[in-house]
Amino acid sequence: MNNDYIVEMLGITKEFPGIIANDNITLQLRRGEIHALLGENGAGKSTLMSVLFGLYKPEKGIIKKNGEQIEINDPNDATRYGIGMVHQHFKLVECFTVLENIILGMESTKFGFLKKKETRKRIVELSKKYGLDVDPDARIDEITVGMQQRTEILKMLYRNNEVLIFDEPTAVLTPQEIDELMHIMKNLAREGKSILFISHKLNEIMSVADRCSILRKGKYIGTVDIKDTTKEELSRMMVGREVKFEVEKKEAKPGECILKVEGLTVASKSHGNNAIKNISFEVRAGEIVCIAGIDGNGQSECVYALTGLEKATSGKVTLLSEDITHASVRKRSLCGMSHIPEDRHKYGLVLDFELQQNLVLQKYFEPRFQNHGFIKFDEVKKYADDLIEKFDVRSGQGAITKTRSMSGGNQQKAIIARELDKNPKLLVAVQPTRGLDVGAIEYIHKNLVEQRDKGNAVLLVSLELDEVMSVSDRILVMYEGEITGELDPKKTTPEELGLYMSGAKRNI
Amino acid sequence: MKNPFKKKLALPSLSSDRTKTIASSLVSIGMGIVFGCLLLFLIACFDQFISDYQDIPVGQSFKGMLVIILGVFSSAIGGGISTAYLIGDMLFRATPLIMTGLSAALAYKTGLFNIGAPGQYLMGTVTSISVALTLGMNGVNGFISWIVAFLAAIIAGALWGCIPGLFKAFFNVNEVITSIMTNWIAANFVTWFFSTMKQFQNTLTVNKTGYTITTGTYGVATPKLFLNFDGSYANGGILIAILLAVGVYVLLNKTTFGFELKACGSNKNAAKYAGMSAKRNIVLSMALAGGLSAVGAALYYLQGDIEYSWTNAYMSLPQVGFNGIPVALLANCNPIGTIFAALFMAYLNISGSQLRILTFYDSEYISNIIIAVIVYLSAFSVFFKSVINGEHKLFSFAKSKDGENDGAKNFIKRFADKISSLKKNKNTVAADKQSDSAEKECVKEDNNG
Repeated sequence: MNNDYIVEMLGITKEFPGIIANDNITLQLRRGEIHALLGENGAGKSTLMSVLFGLYKPEKGIIKKNGEQIEINDPNDATRYGIGMVHQHFKLVECFTVLENIILGMESTKFGFLKKKETRKRIVELSKKYGLDVDPDARIDEITVGMQQRTEILKMLYRNNEVLIFDEPTAVLTPQEIDELMHIMKNLAREGKSILFISHKLNEIMSVADRCSILRKGKYIGTVDIKDTTKEELSRMMVGREVKFEVEKKEAKPGECILKVEGLTVASKSHGNNAIKNISFEVRAGEIVCIAGIDGNGQSECVYALTGLEKATSGKVTLLSEDITHASVRKRSLCGMSHIPEDRHKYGLVLDFELQQNLVLQKYFEPRFQNHGFIKFDEVKKYADDLIEKFDVRSGQGAITKTRSMSGGNQQKAIIARELDKNPKLLVAVQPTRGLDVGAIEYIHKNLVEQRDKGNAVLLVSLELDEVMSVSDRILVMYEGEITGELDPKKTTPEELGLYMSGAKRNI
Repeated sequence: MKNPFKKKLALPSLSSDRTKTIASSLVSIGMGIVFGCLLLFLIACFDQFISDYQDIPVGQSFKGMLVIILGVFSSAIGGGISTAYLIGDMLFRATPLIMTGLSAALAYKTGLFNIGAPGQYLMGTVTSISVALTLGMNGVNGFISWIVAFLAAIIAGALWGCIPGLFKAFFNVNEVITSIMTNWIAANFVTWFFSTMKQFQNTLTVNKTGYTITTGTYGVATPKLFLNFDGSYANGGILIAILLAVGVYVLLNKTTFGFELKACGSNKNAAKYAGMSAKRNIVLSMALAGGLSAVGAALYYLQGDIEYSWTNAYMSLPQVGFNGIPVALLANCNPIGTIFAALFMAYLNISGSQLRILTFYDSEYISNIIIAVIVYLSAFSVFFKSVINGEHKLFSFAKSKDGENDGAKNFIKRFADKISSLKKNKNTVAADKQSDSAEKECVKEDNNG
């Protein structure tokens, strides 16, 4: 019966300073199945896969392939045993073509020349067989993310890998590309490949996987057959409690106007036109206004202009009856604006700083934290410890953890802790739940609603329809730099919202 | 109840990392010296068997090795200059190096590459000498002249450093390009200035042209304090340099200003997002770096007995300016570390000159090559640290699976295993050799995820 399993990881334990990332975990992958690995951010999924791929050596535990114990010391060993991985961030050479990327490291040559014709034939065959449509001569930097991912998959197939690991493959894809990927994965499984699918998106797991193993806080919780389970059960196993998918909130009671934008125009950096064309709107106290739209329709530029990261060409921005159109970022912050940025690595955090330093990134100059220009480290530590406890930010070494080593969800929690603790009159939150698991999403939504109920204004920018529909009190649709619609989430449907977002409909 | 030992328990892991850092630095320095010695041997062989001169017997290479290693203590094996004097000389030579090292380190922490130190150093040179001489000639008290010249040099260096900073901040011009330009502008300016200002030229000493008058002539000299060292050039300047290194350390690590500088250097966008003025910080950081370089020049030329040769200044930039960069990098940009890195460089410098004096290796080029090789290998400390940590791919066998270093026997066995497995894999060695490290990095990033 042992041969039923193509890969077995038995009793894997891996420790990092201050944290046990994997605690006695067992994972058994059957031949030809799609096996999902589910867990919150920081549950130990990536670590476990890194162990399988030879990037980490476990302290305890064994790995078996076809019932025989094997030792994987580095990714080359993994490749030899037919284990391939599509990383969350692709490992492609940008200026090479698809074909060159696929054969990179495995070039078959004749007299030192590449045998491109033969390899091309093989690649075309492979892509036909598995339905992976991609132009082998296109350059990586010229094709879409979805195509890049296909290149990665072809790379694994070209190496005759039997076990394919997908590390959160859908995080970077559009909804349509996700559907296609699901289809491809099913194809691969049908052709006898065994797939390990790391994800925290329950819908995807329910639609594509055969079985699912769940990890929580580094511990193995269990393995279930997808056909015998429900989304609710999975999420309970993952988070350890009931998770509400609906955002609980009372009726909004909009009060005074907090943010007023009049005729705002912002020049684009990538093209000659204006990214934002003469838009006007207001956000009032006690309401969550959501700017919905497909990525790249001017949402980012709008936020940059509101938060002071970029200059507005014309128009007027008023925060609490104070004109802040030309105010500095610091001034806006002191006026009561908080900003949860779109890209937490680029803007939100100094990754090489300690967590406590990031938590005081906008407060270090306050008299509370400095004395004649000297930082009061005790105060900083105390403040950081407070926030860490209050917002449940988890990290290996507490306040002095290097931010880079923290999981994405906890990095985001740190930003949210910092921004919400300013008790902002206006909170600008840009895709605050991007890449996070259901538990963290629930937590963030709860906090947004809490801000609203405290009588503060929240401006939410989101690309996710579910989020737009469930969290907001009022929806503004942005299309090609203009606000083309204002909708009431209670009176509209996702389909109708989709029409507005794609520019097919407008009411302003 | 808080456990009082908790804090103490947390320390060893941190300090062991520090121990590893220091150990790896020492190992790399050792490797550098071994390699330098090997080179000495090869040079002697070359000299004997290939070149026409044949003036370095192979046996001399062993004496050379001893001299290189002993450095300031090399007079012990026979030589006229006393150890005390050499130590004093080392301290004096280290002084400007500490300053230019600090200059590079400070800029680097702010994300700037200050290759403009030579130019800033030259501006410090010209300002300190001319101000000191002018005041001295007019009968101003030597001590006051020293202070004024010192401060003037700082201002000149800071203004000179500002220029690339301003270009970077307001026009986004890469500071490396502007720094190189300002370096040569400074070099030409200095030559023109001293050739025009006849009153600063030394015309009294026979057979000497192209030198400035020493500031000591008018009583402007850095106090010796207690640092006599057998009549060497050593003086209170080294103490000022050390004090400033501590000052830079405090500035970077304890103040809000340092916090801003480091945030800007580490992630410019996040700094901007947090409301810090990146422009202001870039300009200030370059100004400070310029000031620090200029202090190096002031401490060197205000010693009192040093004459500055200006005739060829337009053709070559002062080495001490550039050497600040390796000093800073050797010290991993730690201001306190720059003190030791600069002393190490000065030590090697003495080794080099002793090599010329005490052995048959009398060419300046040879001693320079040896020093360069040692410094070059000393910069491998990061590499050696990764080996010590067992992180390096090729050397990962140095660590067993359970994370403990084990005996030499196992070590060799695994080395053999590794080699054979490497051979076996040669054909299958898959893909992405270069992306392996990137992979590791990336996995580290979502460590717990």
